[in-house]
Amino acid sequence: MKNRVREERGLRELSQAELAAGLGVSRQTVIAIESGRYSPSLPLAFRIARFFAVPVDMMFDPEEEVAQ
Amino acid sequence: MNRSTRARLRAPLVVWIAGTIVAGAVAIGHTWADALIAEVVTVVLGGAYYLLSASHSDIGDIYAHREDERQHVVAMKARSVACVVMIAAAFVSAVYAVAANKNYWQADVIASLGGLSYFLTLLFSGARDGEPGPSSEGMMAARRPGERVSESEDSTSG
Repeated sequence: MKNRVREERGLRELSQAELAAGLGVSRQTVIAIESGRYSPSLPLAFRIARFFAVPVDMMFDPEEEVAQ
Repeated sequence: MNRSTRARLRAPLVVWIAGTIVAGAVAIGHTWADALIAEVVTVVLGGAYYLLSASHSDIGDIYAHREDERQHVVAMKARSVACVVMIAAAFVSAVYAVAANKNYWQADVIASLGGLSYFLTLLFSGARDGEPGPSSEGMMAARRPGERVSESEDSTSG
């Protein structure tokens, strides 16, 4: 599932570790989400969207696969 | 002792307790020297688990019981693979023991327990997951034909 986590994090000049701490997950999980290797659960997806103050359907696009 | 240290000690404690039980069995059935070796191996292995749980990697987080949802899935996959490997090993052992006309009940018990626990997990987890919530059919029945979906209801539908 394609997502805008990397872009939104870049806009806010946050490190992966800072984002992970803000979301209460590990840095490895942030890396896995950004690279599209892991699709977060609904609660985590909403937490990410709230963290960046972006609607969840703008943050995640289920139609598009991430190019590996 | 804080919460994180206690959580980190859980995996080593399991290793130490299980290893000590094995060492006790070795002491009863074999020699004290063999039991001592088993206990030393257990202590070293438990210490390795404790040190590993300090690292901020998937393995470290899982051993320290501070895993997030993805690491939880990773741990479940690892447990699943471990169980499949154990049951396959028990199956091979049982087949070998039967062919060699040896005692095969141990391997048979392990494979049977594995199969039974798999079946029971499917049965009970599946039953819980399948419990009906407020079904869309019921909601449709409660609504009069032609009635519009209210704004608040509509907003939850996506």
